[in-house]
Amino acid sequence: MHDTESDTFHPVNKNEEFCESLKKIGLDAKANQIDSDDAEKESYYSKYYPHTPSMVTNHGTITLKGTNIDVVQIIQKG
Amino acid sequence: MTQDLNPVSWGAQDRYQAHFIVKILVGCDSEDYLARPTLQTKGHFASKKVTGVQWVGGELADALNKDDALSTMITKLPYEDAQIFVEPTKGGVRIFGRWKDSHDFAMTKELFAVYDRIALAIKNMSCPPPIKS
Repeated sequence: MHDTESDTFHPVNKNEEFCESLKKIGLDAKANQIDSDDAEKESYYSKYYPHTPSMVTNHGTITLKGTNIDVVQIIQKG
Repeated sequence: MTQDLNPVSWGAQDRYQAHFIVKILVGCDSEDYLARPTLQTKGHFASKKVTGVQWVGGELADALNKDDALSTMITKLPYEDAQIFVEPTKGGVRIFGRWKDSHDFAMTKELFAVYDRIALAIKNMSCPPPIKS
């Protein structure tokens, strides 16, 4: 009896995964390497509100073309 | 074997956020770009629906309150998606929603249309279109 699961699996970065969901709704999106955008080097929250998480993990950015949004950054809590 | 009564929570959680960043030339960390919606709702739990939106914050919130088309678009969103935050940071003005787990972490056409319209308001505020004579 054979296992139906493949012997190998391909890990996909979270920004690449989210990039695919943006492409599915018809957007021209391209996933970038981690730490390639200036927005990743600054703080991710304004600190005007007290509940903002103190520890987050950066998963990189996605560049969008033909929209008013310049870049999308993926963040994980903790 | 005894159980730890005060377990320490650590490590990354299965909670994600996508920040939609609008890069403007100057003053992107200004308080003027702060905006949050106060939602008027009806129903409870799964049937909770958004019936109205009132933006609270800086100058941007005033501009968003004048946009009736945006309010209509937000009332068509699920309650969870209608909770939108706009925060100014040094890297740009960030538009984002609530934390989502990896299973729900995706974008819909309707939600993106709302984010894009907010981004347009941010760009118009930072660089107003020329007045036609």
